[in-house]
Amino acid sequence: MENQKVICHYHFTAIVGQDKMKNALILNAINPKLGGVLIRGEKGTAKSTAVRSLAVLLPDIEVVADCKFGCNPHNRSQMCQECVNRLDCGEELPIEKRKTRVIELPVGSTEDRVVGTLDMEHAIKKGEKRFEPGILAEANRGILYVDEVNLLDDHIVDVLLDSAAMGVNVVEREGVSYSHPAEFILIGTMNPEEGELRPQLLDRFGLCVHIQGIADLDQRVEVVKRRAFYEQDPAGFQKTWKQEEEKLQQAIVRAKELLQGVTISEDILYLIARIAIDMNVDGHRADIMMMKASKTIAAFNGRREVLKEDVQSAADMALQHRMRRKPFQKPGVEEGKIIGIISHKEVPKMPKV
Amino acid sequence: MDWTEKEVYPFSAIVGQQKMTRALILNAICPALGGLLIRGEKGTAKSTAVRALAAVLPEIEVVSGCPFNCDPHEYNRLCPECKARVQQGIDLPILKRKIKVIDLPLGATEDRVLGSLDLEYAVKEGKRRFTPGLLALAHRGIIYIDEVNLLNDHIVDVILDAAGMGLNIVEREGISYMHRAEFILIGTMNPEEGELRPQLLDRFGMCIQIEGIDDPDERVRLIKFRERFDKNSTEFIMAYQSRQNNLSQKIIHARERVSHTKISDEMLQLCSKLALDAFVAGHRADIVIRKTALTIACYEGRDAVTEEDVNEAADLVLLHRMRIPPPPPRYNREEKERSQEESPDDEKKKQEEKPQTQNRQENEVREEKKEKEEKDKGESENSLSQIPMLESVFPVGDAFKVRKMQMKRDRIPRKGSGRRSRTRTSSKTGRYIMSTMERRTNDLALDATLRAAAPYQKRRSRQDVAIVIEESDVREKVREKRIGNFIVFVVDASGSMGAGKRMIETKGAILSLLMDAYQKRDKVAMVAFKGEHAETLLPPTSSIELAHKLLEELPTGGKTPLCHGISLGYQIIQSYFRKDPYIYPLLILLSDGKANVSQYGGKPLSEAMEVAEEIRNDTRVNTAIVDVEKSGLITFGLAHQLSRQMGARYFRIEDLKSDTLVEILREDLLI
Repeated sequence: MENQKVICHYHFTAIVGQDKMKNALILNAINPKLGGVLIRGEKGTAKSTAVRSLAVLLPDIEVVADCKFGCNPHNRSQMCQECVNRLDCGEELPIEKRKTRVIELPVGSTEDRVVGTLDMEHAIKKGEKRFEPGILAEANRGILYVDEVNLLDDHIVDVLLDSAAMGVNVVEREGVSYSHPAEFILIGTMNPEEGELRPQLLDRFGLCVHIQGIADLDQRVEVVKRRAFYEQDPAGFQKTWKQEEEKLQQAIVRAKELLQGVTISEDILYLIARIAIDMNVDGHRADIMMMKASKTIAAFNGRREVLKEDVQSAADMALQHRMRRKPFQKPGVEEGKIIGIISHKEVPKMPKV
Repeated sequence: MDWTEKEVYPFSAIVGQQKMTRALILNAICPALGGLLIRGEKGTAKSTAVRALAAVLPEIEVVSGCPFNCDPHEYNRLCPECKARVQQGIDLPILKRKIKVIDLPLGATEDRVLGSLDLEYAVKEGKRRFTPGLLALAHRGIIYIDEVNLLNDHIVDVILDAAGMGLNIVEREGISYMHRAEFILIGTMNPEEGELRPQLLDRFGMCIQIEGIDDPDERVRLIKFRERFDKNSTEFIMAYQSRQNNLSQKIIHARERVSHTKISDEMLQLCSKLALDAFVAGHRADIVIRKTALTIACYEGRDAVTEEDVNEAADLVLLHRMRIPPPPPRYNREEKERSQEESPDDEKKKQEEKPQTQNRQENEVREEKKEKEEKDKGESENSLSQIPMLESVFPVGDAFKVRKMQMKRDRIPRKGSGRRSRTRTSSKTGRYIMSTMERRTNDLALDATLRAAAPYQKRRSRQDVAIVIEESDVREKVREKRIGNFIVFVVDASGSMGAGKRMIETKGAILSLLMDAYQKRDKVAMVAFKGEHAETLLPPTSSIELAHKLLEELPTGGKTPLCHGISLGYQIIQSYFRKDPYIYPLLILLSDGKANVSQYGGKPLSEAMEVAEEIRNDTRVNTAIVDVEKSGLITFGLAHQLSRQMGARYFRIEDLKSDTLVEILREDLLI
């Protein structure tokens, strides 16, 4: 593992190639409801670099300034108990604007650190029970990043499943009974050579991309060059990429605004359902994800209308990990099949707006 | 978390899944139905439905402020505090509120489930007082366990105890307390993650299996609903308000009806007949079918139970009580599910039951499979009519459910701790479930320690702190974690394995064991021997996929260096011990026991015997030998000899297949 602090400053836009992964991450930055992304790939394919550098691109959010959970001051139903109580008492909640956080969940984390635990200091000093929030509390309304997610301890995965499903962390342990909002975008990276992910956790990731090392010679040289530039002259590197970075940032903000107004036609919805049925996926999350992802893709492309192409790229990301597999078959999608379904079902072309 | 306050997807807006929504409603109408288990693949609105249920539940009357949710109209069932108030002539304050759905998170610890010492009170007053846990909260309500199959065994035991008696008896931390805990248990699970223990399974009155919807129109409707909900949840919920209210009303009416709905003798007979046809154990099913049928009639607004009601009820009640659930309609999922449905606990249950109690559907499936096997046999025999002299790669044979190996695995941990695959760990990893006074690991259980110290604080000299902890207060955590077994496959890939379908069957056997290993999250390693030496094909890994791929590509041919194979497998185990002394290693040798290459220059077979004896003397290692020799006119029985020498459990390759249930049973009795 390289030095984290240094990696943080590597620019998202400076990553060579790996467009699928970058796209999936950008889509999540635009629409947090996409439910995260799982990046599968071999070692050294800029997985972690990309996730860490994403933090800079994320838009600002408004939070209750002195709330441990960073509650949304505008939505009562998403607040923690304290904030609700304060509202009920007629208190005005102080509002603060801050960056969306990327919280890392280390593979060796203990359960008490993840879900939160009894506040030892307070208990001993005051003789009272108090809840000390954990990583899930920090990750509320942000990104929860798990590197090597397939190596996570089973019981940690279990508690993650619990809160990832409903956006609430319920704690009933070590003498504490507490629950607080824990809505986070789950981003995980994994190297499939080291074992697969449990099916239930796999499904919690909205999208999934599979990446490989770059085979193109020129691009490979470019990777090395940029890295060398960055290591020798970080300031110069920053200057060079600042503009690109800002451009992308603006594109994300624009897409976010546009997303609310994106419409999806009946035909496209049927196409999505058709794909889900023909590809024989598990459950309905795939449909919902395809719908959300294709809308987000349309918004990112500056359109108010979802096209077939959008569905195609959405399906590629939303179905990767949801196909029913034979025992030990590697998860994945035959791309040709999706294209086949899409072209078979005639959908009238929409005029570009 | 009070789900009624959150913006939850409305129950009446759930698309399809009528069986699930109906079963949930029936439980809301009549708590005596005994709860519901929802099995289904991911993304089929299981959790959504249960959370949404809270909003349409009817109201009950409770004693306001009573932590045990006492019913003010039943004097005999009041908690001691409420009783005392009545005796003093105080009118109990009554509160009308909705039935509560209590979440039981997977990480829950014993003290919060049962209730424990009130820490704050103890520090202040120096007295012990009981603070209620989840079981008290859930009295007269619903306990909901998401992913119930992943719940910790100890917590399951605690809940089952309480559910069985309707009482929670607490004897801990110097507290002795008892309160009523009558609750409906609702669980959801994805069978892909492993099966439920039979004791827990039986606790659920009903069980349903759900699947995604296949109809495109319905699917589109579902996507649209979801889109609307995401866009503006408040508006969406408002739009469904009247339907929600109607449903609530319907439930309330049905509740009122329960006492005067009738069931004819004819229908009662039908209930019992259906139960009999399904070969259920005991009489619980009959009783639940009757109650369910009554409830269905109430919900439909009828005064008498009809035949349809009984049939529908039987459908809900019998699934998990039948000896084997009916096969899912689609074939591609059949194999997957079959392998999963065979958890070792299931088997034990089945073995207790009579072998002839197989239902027809199951037989049908078996016949189908037999046919398929025969077809495969034909194919492979064609291609393998002569013994291959050169290296060749055989396909992987049909996977089957593993039966005997699990019996074997069952015994290993029992030596150590008495829990299959799961064990109490002494390292500081694993899930914290309860605390102990025993001092071994320095793994402080802060909450328990504080509770132990709390009552004495008044007598201790305290300076700046509220709690002073003394040596005698210290409690440690008891953690539990699944111990992944470590399985080393030692595979004979020599020329003799090419004969007949040996290699195909062997590969099939390994594949089945691998699938089993995956569900238990074991680590596996693989050694193959052929020609002059043995080779580590797969170093210890949890990537079963990789193992499967290697298995596919494994070539066969050449001589048989048996001794080298066994000793290499043993070496891998030894070196892994250094890394993780807590593993339970299992060495599985798949061979016919023939050996014709020497490692140290001695006789090939006696060398193998020597290594075998060495392994027997190492008590940490468990071994099993799968004999692939065909039983025929000439058998050498070498593998059997070797197994005795190694102290290994001996299996014939046919024994591993569970299809021959009767045979296995007989053999089990012999052992």
